[in-house]
Formats: sequence, structure tokens, C-alpha cells
Amino acid sequence: MAEIRLEGLSKAFGAHRVVRDVSLTVADGEFCVFVGPSGCGKSTLLRLIAGLETASAGRILIGGEDVTDREPYDRHLSMVFQSYALYPHMSVRDNIAFALRTARMPEREVARRVAEAARILRLEGLLERRPAQLSGGQRQRVAIGRAIVREPKAFLFDEPLSNLDAALRADTRVEIAALHRTLGATTIYVTHDQVEAMTLADRIVVLREGRMVQTGTPRDLYERPGDVFVAQFLGSPRMNLVPAAAEAEGVRLAGGARAFAAPWARGPLAQVGVRPEQCRIVAPDAGLVAGLVRASEYHGSALHVVVETAGGDRLSVLAPPDLSLREGEAVGVDFAPEAAHPFAADGTRLQGG
Amino acid sequence: MALRWAVFGLAALLLNFPVIATAVTAFKAPGEVTRNPSLWIEEPTLANFAAVLTASDRLNIYHHLGNSLVAALIGAVLPLVVAFPLAWAMVRRGVGRGVLFPVVVNLRALPLIIFAIPLYMMYAAAGLLDTRLGLGLVLAVVNLPLAVLLLVNAVGDIPAELEEAARMDGARLPRLLLRVVLPLCRPAFVTAFVFGFITAWNEFLFGLILTTREAVPVTVGASFFFATAGGGVQWGMAAAVMVVAALPPLVLGLVMYRRITGSVMAGAVKG
Amino acid sequence: MRSRAFENAVLASPLVLFLLAILGFPALLSLVYAVSETTFRTLTAPRFVGGANFAAVWADGAFWRAAWFSLRFGAITAVLQCALGLFLAVYLYPLIRRHGWMVAVLIVPMIVAPAMMGLMYRLVLHEFVGPVPHYLYLWFGWSPAFLSPANVFATVVAAETLQWTPFAFLLFLAAYGAIPQDLREAAMVDGTRPWRLFWRIELPLMMPTVFVALFVRFIDGFRVFDNIYTLVGAGPGGATTSLSIYIFETFLRRAEIGKAMAAAVLLFLASTLLFVAARALVLRGREGRG
Repeated sequence: MAEIRLEGLSKAFGAHRVVRDVSLTVADGEFCVFVGPSGCGKSTLLRLIAGLETASAGRILIGGEDVTDREPYDRHLSMVFQSYALYPHMSVRDNIAFALRTARMPEREVARRVAEAARILRLEGLLERRPAQLSGGQRQRVAIGRAIVREPKAFLFDEPLSNLDAALRADTRVEIAALHRTLGATTIYVTHDQVEAMTLADRIVVLREGRMVQTGTPRDLYERPGDVFVAQFLGSPRMNLVPAAAEAEGVRLAGGARAFAAPWARGPLAQVGVRPEQCRIVAPDAGLVAGLVRASEYHGSALHVVVETAGGDRLSVLAPPDLSLREGEAVGVDFAPEAAHPFAADGTRLQGG
Repeated sequence: MALRWAVFGLAALLLNFPVIATAVTAFKAPGEVTRNPSLWIEEPTLANFAAVLTASDRLNIYHHLGNSLVAALIGAVLPLVVAFPLAWAMVRRGVGRGVLFPVVVNLRALPLIIFAIPLYMMYAAAGLLDTRLGLGLVLAVVNLPLAVLLLVNAVGDIPAELEEAARMDGARLPRLLLRVVLPLCRPAFVTAFVFGFITAWNEFLFGLILTTREAVPVTVGASFFFATAGGGVQWGMAAAVMVVAALPPLVLGLVMYRRITGSVMAGAVKG
Repeated sequence: MRSRAFENAVLASPLVLFLLAILGFPALLSLVYAVSETTFRTLTAPRFVGGANFAAVWADGAFWRAAWFSLRFGAITAVLQCALGLFLAVYLYPLIRRHGWMVAVLIVPMIVAPAMMGLMYRLVLHEFVGPVPHYLYLWFGWSPAFLSPANVFATVVAAETLQWTPFAFLLFLAAYGAIPQDLREAAMVDGTRPWRLFWRIELPLMMPTVFVALFVRFIDGFRVFDNIYTLVGAGPGGATTSLSIYIFETFLRRAEIGKAMAAAVLLFLASTLLFVAARALVLRGREGRG
């Protein structure tokens, strides 16, 4: 296992700059998730680390060694691909053993390691099958088996769950987390799914347009997002953003009935973010802002209410499921001042928030 | 449906008429051939085949079959060997896409006679005239365009992620090509081989010009047999010669007829 | 990156070296001999004669007759094969979808060597032993002289057409099968009857294949040699001398090596020109249909 260090890494395809000046250290044994919307450069960044793309600028160090100009096969990493990329002409056993045989490992050792990987991933009964004879979840496990059998310096995952159906995805997510606890291996995991990012990561790196926007633990990022992009990217339903202004008596939301006191109530404040689960539906005149119910979706565990203010802003509220609301009903929305996230006009978080 | 079956029967009969008539004639006794030209055999006999398969001075069929076999094998295998690495480099790295690919593919459209005469000159100088190797080499040129087309298509159909996985698994280029790409191209290899073998076996012009005695392939040998028959052609025997000469590609082609369809398509897609 | 360039060179070299050896060198030779006077005795000592060989070919009426023959032969056989192949593919498709073996029966002719096919026609058309004249006499009391100067062109056209219709048939079969079924169903639900369906929906969708098939079959017809040569040779009075046969005869029969080479060079230029033109036509046809 090893630490992975990126220094000023950039990649351009022609004039198109896909990865811009990324510097990052993934500690030995850390589970690091690159997350961002499609086209943010997260997969390219992973492929740069893998050696499948060559960097335009910057350095990549694995375990302190500069591998920037090395071919993939000299970097000693394993990768699980989105399509799994299993060799269709080989049995499961040969798929898992391919890398070991490439390294000319003695056949007895190959057999031992394949058996071990098969045990961990519950593939024992499937070793003689071809990939085409496996279900999606089984293929996924073979792909992971192919990665762990080599005992690489780090694991790379490129959206490994996106080809699975929802139920299987949740199960496999739990398995990957368990696997990481067992192996303690340095892992870099790329996904566009914020749930995967939140549940798996020791550390999340949020990327946007090729740049690192923010990095930290899932809790850090969720509770103290550095800007509105991160704030809205993590969490579902996404964070409400309401225009607001600092006044003499505190913070007032656009169209708000009353102001509330906050330490960050000062000049540059332009909008306030608040997560739906921290909002409450109250009487029309009892909240921080009033509006009309535009939709209410029953989700079983909660009621997802959309309230439109007089100014046209929409707020999502996760309310108790037993609440009953009519469409068009006038309501108030309230939340604790501590739950509010202050943002400046350019979207960055205000100090003290 | 009945009308469709009738049309099929008629088309099958019409298209295959020479083959059917020749096969029928091959089973007629020498006396019957001239007396009864119909498709009905009064006294079926294997005498013609026996005569053909008993090697004689006039026609040693085994010699010709051997020549055809060796030359066709060279002509079918060699293009695959030289085209495979290039096909990969072409698809993955764009090597030769601009000039080499169009040149090779368009070779198919040129009349073979254009190559035949200068090749005669070169072979005469290189001692390749009237050799199986010489014949095989030029048949390989004939089959090269289709081999390149089929293999380029096949490599292009392999997901790039699969090759990336192999590189991550530590495979360098030779292992990548031999253990991952080659096995995945197997259907294309089989198709190109089947079609290439049939084309090479059936080739006539190069055999006619580039061989004289030792390496004469069976297509040319059969036509000699026709031409040199003094005092009129022995039709029964001639028919048997043709059946024997046509049998190897026919068997291969009918067993693998789906491959033929595939190669015709591939050849046409790129025009 | 230097190592990658080296790798690429290694990967390309087998094919490039092979082509240079088998075609590049002879191509140079043919240019040398095309401007020289040579016989089989003076093969190694060609005498430079400039454009004389080209002039001789240009002035040779037989060359132009052969060119005209090849053009006509290629065009007529291509059209006939495509028409027949298209009909068979579309008409028999419902049957073939359930009985794949039917394809195997119909493609037998293209697996038989054209040279063998020529010889087989010698047998089936023979006036004493051939079944074709036999049955024509039996049923109609009359049979044409297939290889007479008046009929020989039609005969070789028919032979070529019957042998290579399966090729066009295969192409059309695949193209027809590739038309999305829901397109047909949509048209039929809209009240389209079979004839209109074919002319307005299916045929337009198959047009790119029609162009390709015409093109490929024309090229093959244009360069014809084997089956005509084994059936009738140069034909009565040279009536079936294609360009390929013309060059062959000039070379081996008349041993006019320089002239044969010059004709080959001209044929190469003409083929390339035809190829480029036809290809442009095919591409335009494809674009036109999206």
C-alpha cells in the first residue's frame, strides 16, 4: 500500500483543459472519492493516475516515487472499470489470474491467491464460468477480484456501480466499504453519485470543470460546504437557496416576515442555504418566510413539500409523513438560525457561518 | 409461401445448373455421356472418379491438389499474419490510416492482370516462377485487403476499456496483442481464413501465368486436361476432375457459409 | 514517446515490407518495361523506346474493342446481378428468416472457381453432350449456337450473372434484414400496402447497398478473365476479349512484353479513375440517404 500524491496535475485535449492544476495527497490506506457532475474531469484525473492518459503538466508520485512518465503496467495499481472490462474469452479463474501470470508468478501461488480472492468475494462456484454466463453483480465481483488479487499499491474504481440496478448498487456499496476495511488499501473511487461519495469516503474531493472545489470528510462537506455548488451537489433533496440580506436587526430572507440573528449577518451576505430536512412547516405567519404549497410528495418516511414564496423562490421541506397539506395552501417555513448557511453573491461561504 | 418456395427452387436450379449438370455427368459411363445428355443417369458409375484419382502421366490430380492446398494455405494465412499487428496499430494509434489503409483496400478493385506480368518478370529473376511459395505469395496479396478490413473491424469492436484493463494488469504490448486482442479477433480470423482460402484455391490467372509444371494449381490443371485431350474431350472424366477440384472450397464454404456472408458484408461496407 | 514510434514501426513493418516486395518492386519493373522493347529472350536487357509502347497500344483497335467489351460487360452484368439479387433477397426473405440453410444453397456458385465455372459451361452448353441444348431441343425443338459470334456475348453475360448474383443477393439480404422491423410495422399500421412499402420505405433504405453492390459487381465484371477465358478464350474473332484477356494474349501469346506492360499501366490508370468516380457516386448515394 502506498500514499498517492498529485502535484499541479493538468491535462488538456487540444485546447480543451479537462484537468486543471490539481494538487492532492491521498494518504496510505485512505478511501478517497472523486465526485462531481459529468464532464468535471474526475474520470480523466483517475486515468492520469492509472497511466492510461499522459499528463500535460504536473507530477504523480506513488509511494514517494515519481511515476508520471511510466506506463500503466509499471505503476502497480489495480483498476475496476465501469464496464468491468472482463476478458470475455477467459474463465473467471483466468480473468483473476491474468495479472499474476503476466507477472510470471509461480502457478501454485497463483492458485492460492485466486482461491483467496474467490473466497473473499464469494466466487468459488463461478470460477470456471465465462463472463457472459454471469449476472451483473457477479461480473462486478469478478472485476473487484481481479483488482485485489494482485495486492497493488492502490485501487482505482471508475464508477463501478453505475451499471447495476438500484438494489444491487446499495448492496455492493456496503460490500466495497467492508472490503476496504478488511484490506485497508489506498483507494481512489470516482462517482457522480453523491450517496456513494457520502457513504464510502474517508475523504471526498469535489471537482468542477477540472478544478478541485473542496476536499474534506463527508461530514465536513455536508455541514460546512465551501460554496453553493458543493452545498447543492451533496444531499438530496438538494439544499434550498434563498436570497437574503443583512439588516440592522439580523438576517432577513427575501419576502421574509421577520429577521433572525446570526453572527455572520453583515454586508456581503447575498443568499442563505438551508437543507430541506432542517426546515419545518408552520403556520403562515409563524415562519421565517411564507408561501403557498406547490407540491407535496408522499415518500413514506417523509413528506416532500415544495413551497413557493411571494418572490417566486421555491423551498423544499421534508416534513413528517402524517402532515396533510392541500395544494395552494398558505404555510410558513421555519428553521433554526444555526441550520442556515451564509453565502456571498459569488457563491462562496461567508466567514463565521 | 408455396410460390416463394417455387421461386427458391427455380433460382437454386438455375444458379447451380452448371454445377449440378457437371456432377451428374461425372457419374455417367463414357458411352452414356454422348448418348444421353439429360440429367438422368441410366447407369451410375464411379469409373470416372476412379480414373481421375488413379494418377497418370496425363493428369496427376494429387500433384495439382497438393499445389493448390499449399498455395492456398500460404495465401490465406500470410495476410492474417502481416495484417494483424497493423490492424491493431491502425485502430488504436491511427498508424497508416491516411495512406496505407486506402491503398491496401483499393487493391481489391484492380484487375489482377496488372500485377501478373511484372510479377512474372520479378519471379523469373528471383527463382520463384513455378513454385508453390511464389504462387502463395501473390495469392496473399489478393487476400490482403479483406484481411485488413476484417481485422480492423474486429479490433475496432473490442472495447478500449478491455485493453486498458489488460495494461493495468501489467500486460505489455506483446502479451496484450497475443493474449487479449488476438483471441477476441478469432471470429474475424476464421472468416478471413475461410474466404481467403476459397479465393486462393479458386484463383486461376496467376496459376496460368506464374506456373508451368511443378506448381500448377488444380484450376489450371483442370483446364489443361480439357485443352490437351486429343481426339475430343472425355467428358465424364473432365466432369469428375472438375468435381474433385471444386470440392475442397465447396465443403469449406458450405460448412462455414455464415462466414461467407460476413466477409461479403465487410468487403462491401468500406467499398 | 520515441519508443511508441518504434513500436508502431514494428507493428506496421510486416505488411509494408510484404507489399513493397511483392507489389512495389514489380510496379517499378512494369514502368521500366512499359517504356522498353523486350522479348522473352531479352528479358534482362530491355531497350528504351520511350512512349512507343503506349503509342502502339493507343493505336491498336483491339485494345479499344477490349476496353469497350469490359465496360459493357461490367455494366450489364452488374445491373442484371443486382436486379436479380435484389428480387431474390426481398422475395425470399420471409422463408430465409426461418430456414438459414437456403442461403447456403444459393451461394454455391460463388464458391466455385470462376475458371471451373467456365469449363462447366463448356460442358452444359456443348451441342452433343450438354444438357441445355438437349432440353431445349426436347421441349422447343430448337437451340441457339451459344458460342457463335452473334450469341457469345449474351452467353458470357449470362454465365457471369448467374455465378455472381449470389454475391449481390447476400448484400441485399443483409441490408433488408437490417431495416428495423418497427419501421415496417409503423408503415403497415398507417395503411401502407406491400408494394408501396417496398418502393417508398424499404428500397430507399437499401439504396446505399444498391450503389455498393453495383459498384463492386461492376469492378469485378470490368476485370473479368477466368470464366470467359476457360469458356471461349478470346472468343470468335476476339468477340469476348476483355482488357484482362487482351493484356494476357499480348503478353504470353504474342510476347509483346512492352506493349502488354503499357496496356497494363493504362488499365491501372483507367481502373483507378473508374474506382474514384464510382466511389464518389457511392458516397454521394450514402450521404443522400443519410
